[in-house]
Amino acid sequence: MPARTLLKKLKEALGEHIGEAWVPRPHRAFFTVKREELHDVVEALVKRFDIRHLSAISGVHTGEEIELLYHFWDYDVCFTVKIKLPRHEPCIKTLTDIVPGALLYEREVHDLLGVEFEGHPDLSPLVLPDGWEEGHPLLKDWSPPEEG
Amino acid sequence: MAQRLVIPIGPQHPALKEPLGFRFRVEGERVLETHIRMGYVHRGIERALQERSYIQDLYLVERICGICSHIHTTAFCQGVEELLGVEVPPRALYVRTIVCELERIHSHLLWLGVIGRDAGFETLFMYTWRDRETALDILEEISGNRVNYAVNTFGGVRIDLTSTQIESILGRLDYLEEQAHYYLKLVTSEATFVVRTHGVGYLSREDGRALCVVGPTIRASGVDRDVRRDDPYAAYEDLPFQVITTTEGDALARTVVRVKEVIESVRMIRHALHNLPEGEARVRVRRRIPPGEVISRVEAPRGELIYYIKSDGTERPARVKIRAPTMANMVAMPHMLKGAHIADIPVVVAAIDLCIACADR
Amino acid sequence: MLEGLVRWARRKSPWILHFNAGGCNGCDIELLDALTPRFDVERLGILEKATPRHADVLVCAGPVTRQARDRLLRIYEQVPEPKWVVAIGSCACSGGVFRGCYNVLGGIDQVIPVDMYVPGCPCKPEAIIDGLVKLLEGI
Repeated sequence: MPARTLLKKLKEALGEHIGEAWVPRPHRAFFTVKREELHDVVEALVKRFDIRHLSAISGVHTGEEIELLYHFWDYDVCFTVKIKLPRHEPCIKTLTDIVPGALLYEREVHDLLGVEFEGHPDLSPLVLPDGWEEGHPLLKDWSPPEEG
Repeated sequence: MAQRLVIPIGPQHPALKEPLGFRFRVEGERVLETHIRMGYVHRGIERALQERSYIQDLYLVERICGICSHIHTTAFCQGVEELLGVEVPPRALYVRTIVCELERIHSHLLWLGVIGRDAGFETLFMYTWRDRETALDILEEISGNRVNYAVNTFGGVRIDLTSTQIESILGRLDYLEEQAHYYLKLVTSEATFVVRTHGVGYLSREDGRALCVVGPTIRASGVDRDVRRDDPYAAYEDLPFQVITTTEGDALARTVVRVKEVIESVRMIRHALHNLPEGEARVRVRRRIPPGEVISRVEAPRGELIYYIKSDGTERPARVKIRAPTMANMVAMPHMLKGAHIADIPVVVAAIDLCIACADR
Repeated sequence: MLEGLVRWARRKSPWILHFNAGGCNGCDIELLDALTPRFDVERLGILEKATPRHADVLVCAGPVTRQARDRLLRIYEQVPEPKWVVAIGSCACSGGVFRGCYNVLGGIDQVIPVDMYVPGCPCKPEAIIDGLVKLLEGI
């Protein structure tokens, strides 16, 4: 179904949880959701709409905030749910209880941006080496460790 | 009472060409639990992409993986072209698609050899890699290199196909199709291979969907999902093709799906070559990328590859997020290994078609 | 005389162990290609072994990442003397396109001594064979 129609259906069902919404081009839709409401919105997507495929979780550090983008795939639309987290308190509830496929994506965002996913079974380093103490490399104010 | 042990394997091991650490908790001959340690190939590419210019990034992105290099540059170029708002000429889209499908053929033949080797079928490894050389010859003839072909650029492609090249490619495609049919007959009728792969590494449809698995791995479990058809890019809207699915969900099903995809790719390339549009191969684009964000998705040989590119108007990207298909399929591995024999571990691990270099970045 | 015989045997059958220290796989696949029918290095006596204890030559590809560093050292120590190390690909020679990345230490020679460098991105199977033959001539 076209992206606009899907967005309309989601707005009808989840209206008050959806903030801004836009369709930049065919097959793409974006909408914003508040951090506290993400888990309920995704639960509705899974249980009421049978949308289970989470393609990826992108994290971007933009100054005072960390944006998390959850990309979902439903037939021919890739729609993205955008969340904003404050830079110095980056924590959010985990989605692994309703979307088991989010397990490694959340671990990676934790590694590279320092976001805490409450309730995640295992946030040990995924890509960073053992014994890495030098911080989270994808933060804008991070600088690489001195050699030596 | 069988003994419980923890067996560590890796990162240097004969089953895979890439470093990956496993710890298997086993009881007797059965695997109870698997713990995987990735990160041996993590080079910090996403950070490096933010520190270099877009055109430098194009060459860095190509070297994320040495098997699916072209599909990474396709996804990156598509994203940047969308940010620029530029329309790529049809001839360039067709050339991009032809190289994408050639890459799919060589990747699947590579994989067929690897799973043959892991199942003990060394001859299959030798045969498929010999035939893979034909695909690599085509790629070398049109681009100059067997791997990392550097075909894509912003606004189109850097190479063009002459009529002599097209003739020679068509001839070699006939050979590849004939061999692919032979391999299909082989993997389904060779008794020892069937015994080693049938029922091994089973993934049900529900589990596959819940774990967000992608690519031939999920298509072998009955989920009809392919980015080329669902979210068409390059020239796929014009090319008629079938999405291959089957329902058995084991390693043999995945083998059959991939061999059939090779046959389908050969047909697609033939169609594309016969219908190659006239025109230029690239358009000039401006150097400054306007601010914005895009999501670029493509179907790599291993599954859905998704790029999120954010630009802030400077000459360097603000963020490039890459999620490779192996990262999506890795989460299903402990699930598929539960209850498996130790001797089946190489076949189960190889059946997902791992590319750790893509997953770790 | 026995010395000469041993040296002849070493030169005629160098068994290799392959290790990817963090590379993109391109050079590893090209190395495996050298074993397949078109190039067929087995006719030169080269066999690919699964364990460091059986190998004479350690063939490494890829830039060394922090995580892989200790494992590379351990594998190098496990290969019995006399041993040689070949670094294949531009990344193994100098870090290649990944030079400067935060998790990359550089080429293989940042961690272990290297006897032969084979450049290329990726290095072609012909180049690998050439490198190995030149290495063997010096034994």
